[in-house]
Amino acid sequence: MSAIQIENLVCDYGGGKGVFDISFQVKRGEAFGFLGPNGAGKTTTIRHLMGFLRPRSGSCVIEGLDCWKERDKVQARLGYIPGEISFFEDMTGREFLKFITRYRGIGDRSRQEELLERFELDPGNRIKKMSKGMKQKLGIVAAFMHDPDILILDEPTSGLDPLMQSRFIDLVGEEKKKGKTILMSSHMFEEVERTCDRIGIIRKGKMVAVDAADALRERHTRTYTVTLADQASAEAFALDFGGRLSGLQVTVTARQSLEQIFMNYYGGEEHAEQGAV
Amino acid sequence: MLNRALYKREMKGSIKLLLIFGAIITLYVSVIISMYDPELMKTLDSFAEAMPELMSAVGMKAGAGTLLGFMVSYLYGFILLMFPMLFCILRGNALIARYVDKGSMALLTAAPVKRLTIAFTQMSVLISGILLLVLYSTVLELVCAGSGFPGELDVKGLLWLNVGLLCLHLFIGSICFLASCLFSDTKYSIAFGAGIPIFMYVLQMLANVGGSAEKAKYFTFFTLFHPDSILAGEGSGIAGILILLACAAGFYALGIMIFHRKDLHI
Repeated sequence: MSAIQIENLVCDYGGGKGVFDISFQVKRGEAFGFLGPNGAGKTTTIRHLMGFLRPRSGSCVIEGLDCWKERDKVQARLGYIPGEISFFEDMTGREFLKFITRYRGIGDRSRQEELLERFELDPGNRIKKMSKGMKQKLGIVAAFMHDPDILILDEPTSGLDPLMQSRFIDLVGEEKKKGKTILMSSHMFEEVERTCDRIGIIRKGKMVAVDAADALRERHTRTYTVTLADQASAEAFALDFGGRLSGLQVTVTARQSLEQIFMNYYGGEEHAEQGAV
Repeated sequence: MLNRALYKREMKGSIKLLLIFGAIITLYVSVIISMYDPELMKTLDSFAEAMPELMSAVGMKAGAGTLLGFMVSYLYGFILLMFPMLFCILRGNALIARYVDKGSMALLTAAPVKRLTIAFTQMSVLISGILLLVLYSTVLELVCAGSGFPGELDVKGLLWLNVGLLCLHLFIGSICFLASCLFSDTKYSIAFGAGIPIFMYVLQMLANVGGSAEKAKYFTFFTLFHPDSILAGEGSGIAGILILLACAAGFYALGIMIFHRKDLHI
């Protein structure tokens, strides 16, 4: 059963901007990585899922509920980190979290405290005076504190330092273990590679690839078998390069990082465009 | 229909403006009522005679006999129209359009709260502010007139007058609210939400000057609030109030429906 289902979604902003006939599904309990460069249509797709935009053609369904018509019911189960978070700047972080707690009607606040500790966020400051990273942490706490079933995360680690990025990825991993469904957009290959089961790549508003993260990696793997002169150097070679030893032969595997895979989908086109200019 | 957490937050956001406009109204109402003096009236009348266009442009006419007539001339032409109107313009724009423009509307819509509830709550905040300002003005007028000139005020007349004033401001508020719901860009929300009421007020000033400019009164909704007709108990006065109220209700409902259906690029 799919938790999130997008079918033939079209949203044409004109001038080649928007999304064109996008379809993909995210199964319940799955982490889906939504990769693409800026302006590819990630946020536009997510806005449809959030019920902010009405699909002009196609449909978005979450847990059997239409994302536009039944958006308030969908929202009860969602946690959302916007791509660009804009808070009520007149509030302190604590006032903001208290407001959201009351606004959403959340009873339990223990999780909020736990999240604040995990991300080492002091919510006593005015949001206006907070750094980008602090605001991002506040956004993360607000998105996770009501313990939602489905998480829609639009470039969630932007502004976080590497330590906090890694803590965030751990958090997403824990949520996945609890059986949560996760849709995470990113142009950070590593975080998607580390957390997601399947990956969809979007480019100029069209899905160019949707596949299991492992399969995507597999497809871009090369294997070499090397024969060495003697047993000792064969053993040493296998150890240093992580190869499989069989007699004097060592088989090594070179994995392209997701980044390189990504470049394969984008790189060629950019060269062609530059050529055309 | 109403989200209490949001209502509370937004009412807090209204407090500063309410205090400022409340203070300005306090100053003018208390000073002007205390100036009521049949002797001084003659001085003011002589001003009005010396420069009738200027004085009547801001609704001040010569020869207002009673205390209430005096108040109509000197309070209901400018002070009690302009300051609640500014409140409507500033809050009306801030309640919806500014949040959409800045993107913080995403915080409100990314929650299991219907957009109808969000818009209804914001409308309630605007209406509450208008209600507080008009109510405060009424109490203030009663207190000032009662302490300065006991027994001279036509209380029933004043109450009717302020019912009319309330409907006028509810209507102005509904224009600002509608503009706020309609436009996702504060530039346009302010252009229409502030532009229409201010333009109409300028027409009203023109119409007050009289002469051939009096025709301007057919093009401004301020004509629908006519204190003299209301006090005289004329049907046209009551009809004006009812039209304002009905249009206000229509505009608020329309604004809420538009917000419910619009695309939010947030």
